[in-house]
Amino acid sequence: MNAAQKLPSREFREKILFLAPGLGYIGVLFVFPLLYSLYVSLTQWNLLRPDLGVRWVGVANFVSLLRDPFTWQTVARTAYFVFGSVALELVLGMILALALNREFPGVGVIRSIILIPFIIAPVVVGFTWRFLLNNDFGPLPHLFSALHLNFLVNPPLLSNASLVIPMLIVIDAWQYMPFVTLVLLAGLKALPSEPYEAALVDGASPVQQFFRITLPLLRPALLVAVIIRTMTALRVFDTVFVMTGGGPGSASEVLSFYGYRMAFQSYQMGMSAAIGLLTLLIALVLTLFLMRSGSQS
Amino acid sequence: MVKTRSGWRLHLASVLTFMVVAGALVWTLYPLLWVVLSSIKPEQDQFAIPPVWFGSRLTLDNYIRFFQDASFLKTLVNSTVITTLSTALSLLLGVPSAYGLSRFHLRYKDILSIGVLLVRMLPPIVMVIPIFLLARTFRLLDTYTVMVLVGAFFSVPFVIWMMKGFFDEVPTELEEAAMVDGSSRAWAMWRVIVPLTGPGMAATAVLSALIVWNEFLYALVLTGANTRTLPVLVNSFVSEKTVNWGVMSAAGVVAALPLVLFGLSIQKHLIRGLTAGAIK
Repeated sequence: MNAAQKLPSREFREKILFLAPGLGYIGVLFVFPLLYSLYVSLTQWNLLRPDLGVRWVGVANFVSLLRDPFTWQTVARTAYFVFGSVALELVLGMILALALNREFPGVGVIRSIILIPFIIAPVVVGFTWRFLLNNDFGPLPHLFSALHLNFLVNPPLLSNASLVIPMLIVIDAWQYMPFVTLVLLAGLKALPSEPYEAALVDGASPVQQFFRITLPLLRPALLVAVIIRTMTALRVFDTVFVMTGGGPGSASEVLSFYGYRMAFQSYQMGMSAAIGLLTLLIALVLTLFLMRSGSQS
Repeated sequence: MVKTRSGWRLHLASVLTFMVVAGALVWTLYPLLWVVLSSIKPEQDQFAIPPVWFGSRLTLDNYIRFFQDASFLKTLVNSTVITTLSTALSLLLGVPSAYGLSRFHLRYKDILSIGVLLVRMLPPIVMVIPIFLLARTFRLLDTYTVMVLVGAFFSVPFVIWMMKGFFDEVPTELEEAAMVDGSSRAWAMWRVIVPLTGPGMAATAVLSALIVWNEFLYALVLTGANTRTLPVLVNSFVSEKTVNWGVMSAAGVVAALPLVLFGLSIQKHLIRGLTAGAIK
């Protein structure tokens, strides 16, 4: 009896055996680098100048980061990109989900085809669009010229400071609209039929039905799509890196690219860690805000 | 009167559906077809102005050149090795945790589950500096080890949430019956639950592989000549001065095709896995 009390119970050992490896792994790989990142963010550390060593500077990195107007411009650019992509994908995804919710021959195949861009590596997506938009050998500039849309050709879209973010938004929509579509489609398939029968009796038009019944009932699916897409749009890096390198100038420099550039082009580890933590803070606040506004209904 | 009006509406709805679906197909396929057709175009047709969709003849030269170049082939091998090992590791670590979160009564279950979700939501740029500096300190840059460990870090949270969903669907009576017969919980899980959730686990493995295969930021920072992956290769093509669009397109197809086929085979579970945890 006494011995049994001292030894951890079989149930407790089972819990440890099952849970510890997986949770421990992500826990250690999360907490340890995060703490290390916090430490790095409080230092001045130039990888190209090992002679200077790692100097403790306290919160100086954060102060200069928050004082630098470039930081806020980058936050604004990132917000523009995130908001634009999520909004465009929601609108297009909703329209497409409504169409795919109807029964017609081949709908299954079409659903698969539409999903393809979502599965392709973002780097390949970036390459694909860079090729399509190449002013000499890509088909799109020639198509734009034929349609007399010269502002899309001259200057080239990738070098047009005012159109580069809208273009990245369109490419993001090409890749991630399928995800939004399928999330909303799953939501549509799960809707109850009673409200629509009642609406039919009341003589509500399809447009009224959509705004009064479908949209409110679809709120949980919309929320999932918004939360996940916001978080993934916030981390956009690959397509920006491949297509524009943050350019022209810094017209497409988003937060994650700023953090990368600071570390691997300017070699300022401390500043880069500070940018990373600022991004984390923004991501956390956004997630909590979205989840709270979702649970209020 | 009412009948014709609803009939007209039905007709309008069909026309609208057709237009939306046709538009979506063109929108999706236009870029894909361009790259696929460019990969089977002979070199001289790549530089036609205005561009041509179909080459003067069909050729596999671009693919042959890709597979004959040892350094290109190496990236394909690297991607395969890193993805396979990462996926195996993340299933090994994630599946028991998912089972535990699904079955055990735990005091801090909600906190643990939300913690896993937070790691999943983490912007990768947050961890890239510390992981790069740590890998540098431990001399792990340009090794499979660091790529496999990082890949598993990113896919384990998905594995946990996705598999937890599948385990929740299996009645607890099944393994309880096996455990009454004297087998341990681990054995009961292995013999009773794992076979029942097999298709779910296959889908989870594909999702996990997809995450690692397509990963770019960490591959860019942590790999070197020996371990660079396909996305890093595709990126290096883009930054070169003399571009060979045909071979690049072939590389793009090679990088995309295997996982597109796998991904489509589990498309039903794909969305479910990616949204797991975001809804209660």
